[in-house]
Amino acid sequence: MSEAISYIWLGVLAVFEAPALFSLAGIGIPAPLVMLLCGLLTGIAVGATPGLAGPMAMAVSLPILISVFGVSADALLPVFAFLIGIMKGATVGGAVPAILFNTPGTPDAFMTTLDGHPMTLRGTPERALKIAHFSSVSGDTVSDIVLFVCAPFLAVMVESVLDLPEKTALIILSLSFIAAVMGASVAKGLISVSLGMVSAYVATGQGFHPRLTMGVEALSDGFPLIAAVLGVLILGEVFKSIFDMWRGIRRKRAEDHNADLAPDGLRPGDIRRILPHIGRSSLIGCMVGALPGVGSTLAATLGHSLGKRRHETRKGPTDKSFGEGIPEGIAATEAANSAVSGANLIPVLSLGIPGNAAAVFLILAADSIGGFNPGPSVFNFAAPEINPELVVAFGIFTLMALGNLLNWTIGGIFMRSMGVMARVPNRILLPVVLLVTLTAIYVQETSLAALWVAIGFGVLGFFFRVLEISVLPFVIAFILAGSLENTARQAFSASGGDPFFLFRSPVACGMLAAAVILVVLLARKK
Amino acid sequence: MNRFLRTFAVAAVTVAAPLAALAADWTPPGPIKLMIGFGAGGGADTQARLIAEAIEAKHGWTILPEQVTGNSGLNLLTALKDEPADGTAIGMIVTETMAYNLVASPESGLNAGDFTPLATTAAFRMGLVAMADGEFSSWEQVKAAAEAGKAVRFGTATTRQGDMAYHLGKGAGIDFNIVSVKGGKAIMNGLRGGDLDIGWVAGAQAKAVAQGEMINVARGIDTPLRETPEAPSITDIGSQFYLDGNFMFAAPGGMDPAVRDALAGAIAEVLADSGTGASQLVTRAFGGATVIKGDELDAMLAKAAGDSQALLKDVTE
Repeated sequence: MSEAISYIWLGVLAVFEAPALFSLAGIGIPAPLVMLLCGLLTGIAVGATPGLAGPMAMAVSLPILISVFGVSADALLPVFAFLIGIMKGATVGGAVPAILFNTPGTPDAFMTTLDGHPMTLRGTPERALKIAHFSSVSGDTVSDIVLFVCAPFLAVMVESVLDLPEKTALIILSLSFIAAVMGASVAKGLISVSLGMVSAYVATGQGFHPRLTMGVEALSDGFPLIAAVLGVLILGEVFKSIFDMWRGIRRKRAEDHNADLAPDGLRPGDIRRILPHIGRSSLIGCMVGALPGVGSTLAATLGHSLGKRRHETRKGPTDKSFGEGIPEGIAATEAANSAVSGANLIPVLSLGIPGNAAAVFLILAADSIGGFNPGPSVFNFAAPEINPELVVAFGIFTLMALGNLLNWTIGGIFMRSMGVMARVPNRILLPVVLLVTLTAIYVQETSLAALWVAIGFGVLGFFFRVLEISVLPFVIAFILAGSLENTARQAFSASGGDPFFLFRSPVACGMLAAAVILVVLLARKK
Repeated sequence: MNRFLRTFAVAAVTVAAPLAALAADWTPPGPIKLMIGFGAGGGADTQARLIAEAIEAKHGWTILPEQVTGNSGLNLLTALKDEPADGTAIGMIVTETMAYNLVASPESGLNAGDFTPLATTAAFRMGLVAMADGEFSSWEQVKAAAEAGKAVRFGTATTRQGDMAYHLGKGAGIDFNIVSVKGGKAIMNGLRGGDLDIGWVAGAQAKAVAQGEMINVARGIDTPLRETPEAPSITDIGSQFYLDGNFMFAAPGGMDPAVRDALAGAIAEVLADSGTGASQLVTRAFGGATVIKGDELDAMLAKAAGDSQALLKDVTE
């Protein structure tokens, strides 16, 4: 226990004693703190802009951050700080356009429009935004606490219980889960996962001769990770939006209302009214978030519908219902979707399995900088020398806690000033995003081939969107494919070349059976 | 004498021409492209970049480092081969790439003669490592466990290490379950997590051994390891070869000996200067610099290539 406490302390020190970025009144301001604040403000602005999302901003900023901070061990915390800031800011900012203009910036903010926008129309936008801010930050805080407590224990348990075949089966289970629950149908999810794995297997493997490159020398070290991921995630989205504009399909944008935007605000009793909804929705968000790949949309939907059911049974005859513009509706949604973000890092830190796009970029950052490999080996408290990865993990937790603090204090004020972002038109937004993304890729890879790869994957991402295939399973499979192959190879050779190594342990068999059952059941249901 | 030894012998004779006087005056005709065959941010990458920085500071040359990774250094050699041999392109790899990997991959179309070895920087402190309090903490225990019918999981990080594990097992009469993982750190994590029983580690184990967490069951090199001088050599327990190796710089083949001497001299110089970051890093991570250049390096690589052929012959028989 004392080891754990000293590691927590080392993590806190790692943040506060990091090299100073600049000094203010003679006091050096540590780089991670500055970057956390910048990230948070960026995140809120991005979240408030319809058409942009947190993961997009993380994707674009990662290569730029790496070119600024380099790949030394000192770079880890400032880079993570910025990314965590974006993650937290975007969660809060997403509610702004939903409430003010009835244009959800992210799919999970859709539920927020149901009660948020009617409140705006009634002339109480500030009250709605304050409720959304309070609920969102509460949900996020609860979620972080769950992460801090669960990730180390889960990781230690996993490392002591799971051998190589079980780890292989766990990755297979995660991939089939992600394929089954994300997107329009199980079949499309499986297509997405399979294409991701095929792309990742180009030029990897153990032989001296790179496989699947078809003689193209530029591919002899595989597709550059950042180019492939940014191509599918961002360029694909940009291409699709341009295509929609060309076809004359406009995103539904609300007309400006001439509602009175005079200052309003929280009313006495508001917080007491929404607390039960925040509590329930936070729990739902944490549970959903801990499962890889499920995402915040389901959490928001669940939180909203359970809150609605509860509210209907309790409300008085004169009280308004969900959907008519009541604080409870905003709280139930915002707490649930925000509570996903912290819990989503549980599978990343304890298993090395990313559950959502934000987690993907934290893994990419760790991968690019080195010195921190998310996974069970991070939480090794027993090593006689100080385990630097564990210090980084607790540094990350410290940053998340500080991020919440900032969110509680200045986040709300900044958020309420961001209404203007919802009015940036696509014809300006899209070229900027395209340019910044291509620059970011070139900054990190410094080769034109990487840009072609990114554009190629962008076209793939475009077709995914046209065919309504979710791209996230593709990205997660692209990242996990290497671990899957390596772990399977290792399990196979550790068993002395037993072809049935996956079926020798009951735990592995159980996981494989669960993978099959999941796919079959969900395929039927959908 | 086989083809590889012959190639090296020819190279050695060419280089022996005494042109050292020119070396001091040489300056590169342009910026030097430094290809690094290791992932960005790792120990080897840092070493290469620090050496480049120190050379820039000492000589005023411009060195532009870039990552060329993959295929155990062969991607780097493929790219390096077509660069000009005028000193404006060099690469950092390990001796294993220039010896075993070239011998083992005739389909790559690369030959040792396509390159000019410049200088080594640091030697591996290769040990056969196990957890200190586990059931494999001495070679006798490993043998006893294998004889009792237990499958022993042997972690390896490169193809040559895998072959050496098999060869060692063959000599000692043990059929190891050879598990290939990514790098020495991953082997150490595998040992800690119980996924592996023993494994080759090229120096990263030093701290864990000094602190009593792990132990060198045997050493893979001919000089005793500092933390465990009593560990037997792998040649005492069944192997015919050492599993030695060095980090090294190489350039495209056919380089002017004066240029070669100038580049190798610059590398040696910054590593000998204890004030440079490069020298400090190499001391901290590898117990000091090991600079081998010129004829001595050619001879060492020729022997390594010969050993690699013998090893491949032994494991495929």
